[in-house]
Amino acid sequence: MRKKALHSAFELFTILLIYIKLNLKAILEYKFDRTFITIAIFCREMISVVVMFLILVRFVHIKDWGYNELFFLYSFLFLSYSAFVLLFSGMRDFPGVIYAGEFDRYLTRPLGLLYQIIASRLDLSAALGHGIVGIILFVNTAFSVGIIWNARNIAYYIITILSGAVIQASIFMFANCFSFWTVKTENLRNMIFFSARRFSGYPISFYPGIIQKLLIFVIPFSFVNYFPAQYFLNKSDMNLFWDGFLYLPPLIAVIMFALVYAFWKCGVRHYSSTGTSM
Amino acid sequence: MPLIEVKNLVKDYKLNVRKKGLLGSIQSLLVPEYEMKRAVDNISFSIEKGEMVGFIGPNGAGKSTTVKMLTGILVPTSGTISIGGLSPHKDRKRNAMRLGVVFGQRTQLWWDLPVIDTFELLKYIYKIPEETYKNNINMFNDLLEINEFMSQPVRQLSLGQRMRADIAAALLHDPEIIFFDEPTIGLDVIAKEKVREFIKYINKEKGTTMLFTTHDMQDIEKTCKRMIIIDEGTTIYDGTVEHIKESFGTSRILVVDFAENVDDFTMPGVEVVDRKDRKLWLKFHKDEVQISNLVYELTQKYGIVDFTVQEPEIEAIIREIYQGGIKLDESLCRVC
Amino acid sequence: MRAYVEFAKKAFQINIAYRADYIAGVINAVVMIFVNISIWKAIYEDEQAVDGVQFKMLITYIVLSFLMQCIYGMDEYFIEYKVRSGSIGLDLLKPISFSGYVFSYNVGILVFRVVMQLIPAMIVSIFLFKMYPPFSWSMAAFFLLSAILGYFVLYNLNFLVWVSSFWFYWTFSLVTIKDAAVMILSGALLPLWFMPQALVDFINLTPFASIYYVPISIYLGQVPMEEIALTLAKQLIWAVGLFVAGRLLWRSAIKKLVVQGG
Repeated sequence: MRKKALHSAFELFTILLIYIKLNLKAILEYKFDRTFITIAIFCREMISVVVMFLILVRFVHIKDWGYNELFFLYSFLFLSYSAFVLLFSGMRDFPGVIYAGEFDRYLTRPLGLLYQIIASRLDLSAALGHGIVGIILFVNTAFSVGIIWNARNIAYYIITILSGAVIQASIFMFANCFSFWTVKTENLRNMIFFSARRFSGYPISFYPGIIQKLLIFVIPFSFVNYFPAQYFLNKSDMNLFWDGFLYLPPLIAVIMFALVYAFWKCGVRHYSSTGTSM
Repeated sequence: MPLIEVKNLVKDYKLNVRKKGLLGSIQSLLVPEYEMKRAVDNISFSIEKGEMVGFIGPNGAGKSTTVKMLTGILVPTSGTISIGGLSPHKDRKRNAMRLGVVFGQRTQLWWDLPVIDTFELLKYIYKIPEETYKNNINMFNDLLEINEFMSQPVRQLSLGQRMRADIAAALLHDPEIIFFDEPTIGLDVIAKEKVREFIKYINKEKGTTMLFTTHDMQDIEKTCKRMIIIDEGTTIYDGTVEHIKESFGTSRILVVDFAENVDDFTMPGVEVVDRKDRKLWLKFHKDEVQISNLVYELTQKYGIVDFTVQEPEIEAIIREIYQGGIKLDESLCRVC
Repeated sequence: MRAYVEFAKKAFQINIAYRADYIAGVINAVVMIFVNISIWKAIYEDEQAVDGVQFKMLITYIVLSFLMQCIYGMDEYFIEYKVRSGSIGLDLLKPISFSGYVFSYNVGILVFRVVMQLIPAMIVSIFLFKMYPPFSWSMAAFFLLSAILGYFVLYNLNFLVWVSSFWFYWTFSLVTIKDAAVMILSGALLPLWFMPQALVDFINLTPFASIYYVPISIYLGQVPMEEIALTLAKQLIWAVGLFVAGRLLWRSAIKKLVVQGG
């Protein structure tokens, strides 16, 4: 017997809007602090941009990647991370929810668990900090690297940014699911994630083959910025890779999310078996 | 048809057996060994609509595990739970719609925002009709004086205010059943009274079924008619509070203010349990010693300034049950 | 004095408990070195030298820089936490200098990192990356001396930011911004050789170069013997200057605490 859903899609959307409203209100409570944090994150992310800038001012191009092209490549990382944090900071900070016992509260509410996790958190500071860096880079380069921004390209761009956000969210969520078994993976996760991200700041063709394979098949950061950028720029080092990679980002995002979702369900089942205190 | 039916509820936990030493740790990692711990061992009970039931038991006795299974947080190993025909685990969301939960030590309110903001969110989550929403808030204003602090951020509220707000939040959607976990913890005497009064009022007016887990005996004594004692995973008592007092509260304490110092007091069947200057606390069993006889004998022998009779506190009775001092007869369980 | 040694030891022991952290630290350093070397390899494109800078010199610079960054990591929120939780009041009542305590605590961390992180990281680096050894024995000694002075400069700079928690409570923003400045201006991520002259001139007016660039350039033999004394003296002046500033700020922080009553 098919049960009628408790909330209609519209109702769920309304509830989401209220969550967002409350999150923003809470953020504004501390707007002074939050602003400084945004500035601090912006400064921190700009470090690598400034270093890249100083290098390129001196050397103008690396291999056959020019100044603007490298910054264009880099902008994908910031914009997709910003989208990830904007949409999914709940998934990012999920272990904290479990350790504080908040997850029990979620279980007693008539809403989906993943829904509550995503809706109840919004890290505007990080989203803005990374996002502004990304926008600065994008605005300065998107029109100087020979890209025609027709409808098709704009669509591809938006889809790959979102795919990049989902890919990164999945990596985080995968590590975070271990919290169901009270295994803290924050350090390992950060090390792997941010190392991969650092590598991806520059074209993966700069690195030895093993790194390239890692970034394609293990921690697929190359689909967050390298291949999307190549779609637009078509640099010669793309010859090293299969053309199909250019169209894979959304597929990778979907597959990763599906895998993580399965793992998540496993984790919830285990949690319901043992709870936090045992 | 009882609202809540629990049949043969069992909850087992797999505990990792950690071996000692470095080699032991490596062994545990590679070949994990498990031990089964039975936290809830075949518990059954049923609760009718509108009842107010208190669950008490020592820590680790399985009572919070039981409540977690009732609220859908944990899944039973075996046995069934039916709440209004729904399984808290299988029909989690649907069940949650008509459930309210108050965790005494953790608030469900948004910490940095006014109470009213959380209420608005709850209104949409529980699909509360505008009329009900307004009426309930008015009621909370009348009886809990919530309007005094409704627009202050929760982090600025005193514990008493926050508790009141949490209870209101749990009742906002007119749940059929509400679970209270340590609802009066940390509150002062007056605040506790207010909360208890309010809870009783809601039960009377709306017929809400209420379950309490608490260590505060007074909470139970003053609000619940029925009490379930859980120890080592089983119910060792399921009956009225009155009955426990009657059956086990056989001891009385006579507090006597003597006119002079009484140093070596002895009387058959009477135990001196405390003394302070000329005041003695005398414990006796009402079945063994008649109180009128006792008073008579005392006045014959000594000069008495004042005396009072103390009835047993549920607290003391429960403590004795926990410590195994009082044996609960099989026949006394399942008595209502 | 004895007490301070104990604190340093305590910091060492606490850090042992965070095994996962220190492995992560080593791996992070190696990854960063690897990324940077790969990028420079791409820049050099098989040329041996650019601007008179040998590729191998650059590799050595990068390795040294990241190894030093690894061990120079300090507990940036130690004081802030105590101020926020109020336990600073208790600490100040103790018969030892609190700022001395903080220093010995961080030295403990440094020693821990030298033993637990530097040594494995160095072994890995020597195998993976072809580095130059120190320019000479004397330069090696001066390098160590300079590195110690650089640590003091960094510590005193950090201390100024940490003490600001008495006023700001939350110093995440200040610490992060300070780190950004240090990373860029101290030559940690990019040797000063490749920076525009205007920027280098500016940096020379600040203490930043003393932290990473100066010690490393001594190691590489870029500072001729006659200039060594002057160079080290400059570092010392910055270390002392920042130390004095720290003392002054500390005193006014205590005053504020006493007046406010914590």
